[in-house]
Amino acid sequence: MSLTSLSAFEVARKVKAGELKAVDVAEAALAQIRAVDGLPGSLDGGAVSADEEKKVHAFIQVTEKMALEQAEKVDQAVARGEDAGLLAGVPISIKDIFCVEGTTTTAASRMLSNFRPPYTATPVRRLIDQGALILGKVNLDEFTFGSSNESSAYQPATNNPWNTDHVPGGSSGGSAASVAAEEVALSLGTDTGGSIRQPAAFCGVVGLKPTYGRVSRLGLIAFSSSLDCPGPLSRNTRDAALMLQAMAGVDPKDSTSSTRAVDDYLSTLGQDVKGLRIGLSPDYDAVYYPNFETGELHKEAIQKEVHETLYRSAELLAKAGAEIVENVPMPNTAYGIPAYFVISRVEAASNLHRFDGVKYGYRTESAVSNLSELYRLTRAEGFGPQVKLRILMGMYLSAAGHDADYYTHAQKVRALIRQDFVRAFEPDGDHRLDALLTPTTATTSFKRKAVFGNSLLMQYSDQMTVSSNHAGVPALTIPAGLDEAGLPIGIQLIGNDFREDLILRIGHAFEQVSRDEAWRKVRPQVLAGEVKA
Amino acid sequence: MKDYEVVIGLETHIQLNTRTKIFCSCKADSWEDEANTNICPVCSGLPGTLPVLNAEAVQKGALLAAAMHAEVNPLSRFDRKNYFYPDLPKGYQITQFDEPIGKGGYLDLKMADGTKKRVRIHKLHLEEDAGKTKIEHGTRLVDFNRCGVPLIEMVTEPDLRSGEEAAQYLIQLRQLLRWIGVSEADMERGHLRCDANVSIRERGSQVLNTKTEIKNVNSIDSVRQAIGEEAKRQIELVESGGKVESYTLDWDADRNKLSLMRSKETEADYRYFRDPDLLPVKLSREEIAGIMAALPELPLERQARFVTEYGLSEYDADILTNERSLSDYYEAAVGAYTGEPKAVANWMMNDLSRMLNDLGKTADQLVLGPKALAEIIQMIDDGKINAATGKSLLKKVEESGSRPAEIVEKEGLGLIADSDALRAQIEAVLADAPDEVANFKAGKESLLGWFVGQVMRRTGGKADPKRTRELLLEMLRK
Repeated sequence: MSLTSLSAFEVARKVKAGELKAVDVAEAALAQIRAVDGLPGSLDGGAVSADEEKKVHAFIQVTEKMALEQAEKVDQAVARGEDAGLLAGVPISIKDIFCVEGTTTTAASRMLSNFRPPYTATPVRRLIDQGALILGKVNLDEFTFGSSNESSAYQPATNNPWNTDHVPGGSSGGSAASVAAEEVALSLGTDTGGSIRQPAAFCGVVGLKPTYGRVSRLGLIAFSSSLDCPGPLSRNTRDAALMLQAMAGVDPKDSTSSTRAVDDYLSTLGQDVKGLRIGLSPDYDAVYYPNFETGELHKEAIQKEVHETLYRSAELLAKAGAEIVENVPMPNTAYGIPAYFVISRVEAASNLHRFDGVKYGYRTESAVSNLSELYRLTRAEGFGPQVKLRILMGMYLSAAGHDADYYTHAQKVRALIRQDFVRAFEPDGDHRLDALLTPTTATTSFKRKAVFGNSLLMQYSDQMTVSSNHAGVPALTIPAGLDEAGLPIGIQLIGNDFREDLILRIGHAFEQVSRDEAWRKVRPQVLAGEVKA
Repeated sequence: MKDYEVVIGLETHIQLNTRTKIFCSCKADSWEDEANTNICPVCSGLPGTLPVLNAEAVQKGALLAAAMHAEVNPLSRFDRKNYFYPDLPKGYQITQFDEPIGKGGYLDLKMADGTKKRVRIHKLHLEEDAGKTKIEHGTRLVDFNRCGVPLIEMVTEPDLRSGEEAAQYLIQLRQLLRWIGVSEADMERGHLRCDANVSIRERGSQVLNTKTEIKNVNSIDSVRQAIGEEAKRQIELVESGGKVESYTLDWDADRNKLSLMRSKETEADYRYFRDPDLLPVKLSREEIAGIMAALPELPLERQARFVTEYGLSEYDADILTNERSLSDYYEAAVGAYTGEPKAVANWMMNDLSRMLNDLGKTADQLVLGPKALAEIIQMIDDGKINAATGKSLLKKVEESGSRPAEIVEKEGLGLIADSDALRAQIEAVLADAPDEVANFKAGKESLLGWFVGQVMRRTGGKADPKRTRELLLEMLRK
């Protein structure tokens, strides 16, 4: 097995045992990036050659010097006999929505193309403190607004390592692709409506959206503050548990971070799932689109292979000893996207107010005659179309006289969605679930340009994931198979508040019970040609 | 001309005197600091930063709410007020919109004619201040030092009826803020800022007519003058058949002139919504009880008590309760003194207040403490020193820090009450004035005063006058 295929857990173990030098891990990751990533995303990056079309393009910025310096430190710590940390020598990529001192932090937007933050986000700081190596900043949809990575101002946008004609999903597309392409072992992403889980599913990797407040948001450039959650992407559940362990816990600089003690995720990971109650809900068998004339919901069944994979996975878990509880009603799932539309846009419009060309970031180069012109031109030139759409929508929805109609109403829907979960997990309720098992996405990855431009359709690809953001509960996606086109299928485990330990444990059990399945032997397209050591 | 009355509501912004800003740990007061030196990623609105609420700001806000007789809300929340301006780095101000820290309340004003006037409070909430901008050589400059300084915004009901009443409101609010220690309330430094809403109506009418808002009335004189000017303008306008429009006006304190800032028709929509970065502010029953317990006796209550408890006049009690430290000083001095409380009041109203003025100090900053003052008055009462010595002692104690009795002892300022010593002095005086002694003995007893004067002159004023008189009579009548 090559160095870059090693799990984070293995890398850290070997580095700490002195069997492996962190510097060699960093060099191997850098070599892999050079081999598969191609041109880094850049502003005004136009059409690329056919050869480049086959590359991953996960990175906007490779921080070679930083990674090597961190590796040196880890190796020195090991040499001195010190504890080099949970993530000693583990190569990690950071979604370029996190402030990291010493990097440009762009949010994949022209608006922040020159922004060098003077501080480091808390989750990134904690990863570094545990010995992680920061290999670079990876691409995303502009300001995280999208589900395909295509809206990035940094082109070429990331491709799906399993089929480079397809999107990696989004918004943490660069994160998922960099992990799938073995450029890094772990990536830090963010999930507001499914932005970790959907790309993780599309790229055949593990993605965890922790409970809201479990991981600090300090240094995460906000999209929708009441929904945003930083979380890990990895190639297996143990690595996700390891990364969460390193990041989780209260941050005095984030009032919304939880003071609850952090569980030991690794120690319970290997426990079996006998007697755990895992639910299936018919409300996750279809996606719903509203008819804008009538307001009626149109129902569309999810992709057949996704549905089959879900039920086959449930059977495997039953075989491992879990109890499968069918027909768990989650009646408000269909309203997740409309409510998300309102809440996330109102918050986003406000969060984006600060980008005005006055203090940092892009400022129009045209001569302006007054302040309002400076604002208008800066924002017109600095933001891409998807960002403008969301600002317009957010402004409209929160305008005086509208807030009661839209925002307040959406908050009520949000409360109802949370009620669905409360009932499902109630220890003395009808269902008493330990986790709800659902598809992560309605379909597997779509082709580039197939959905981009249809903002509405793009948004509905988050229907399976958005409810857990509304409810604040943790949700994990794990790879569970491939469709006929050879594209990954993900299944999702949604847990009760702060029960990351349980969903990781169930996910881990699934990995064990499906260990010898044929689809697990298939490698992503970009890795298929590689000669393995 | 009809008989008009002016209807005024004041919106005040009060800078709380916390050590750090409301949502970050930068120093709050930047009065003497260079621009942009008390800033950090949080208060300068860098991407990814989050606010963390300063508990001291909540406590002081709640204390002010309690002092205004407002209901302290056990649960209050923060909202975002969204607008663009260069001095507002986040593009929104964090403020409290519909669930503020205080609800209702009032301030009772004592008026010049001795009556009380109640001004009701419409709203009292916590918020963060914005920065400052200025234009220099055609370039707009921004200073973020003030961003995130904690403010209480307090809005009155339209209960004030003249510029003078509005001025009294500010004077007495300023007194209260200093009294309870939540703000330095220095208007020149912008700790207490004021906008005035002004309308007119026929006396007796209850309608609220279209009002104008005057911005930047940031001194007591400005409030008095700006409201006077604006009321005059509105009355003249209406009398000549015009109509008051909903303008925002600016008061230029240098030229004593109002100017039009903007017409209010295109009022901004601030798109208020809950700030998702902050948790609701919860104050338990115990915490609120603790705040109420920390609330000192308020100026008007103390004034009334001084009248009944110490027998002071309304006037004296008023002066002595102008500042909390002065009234605390008074009570401490009365407590250490065995005579009439009125005597202490007289000393404080005259000599001590003159000294405070000369030194530019408040009572709590004096070296001469209340016990020392009581000791001085007591020594005069006991005939140990005379009044003039007492007065000179004020300064000597203040400068040396020594106890009054020590100074008297050391400098020999005590009165000669010792009979033998005094007798010797008197004998000398009588020996020098045989004619006057003869005249006295012949019945011209009015010469007694002259003899006392001679003894005083001879002793440099240190003879105890009462004892001198007694001994003189005794010796002259022998």
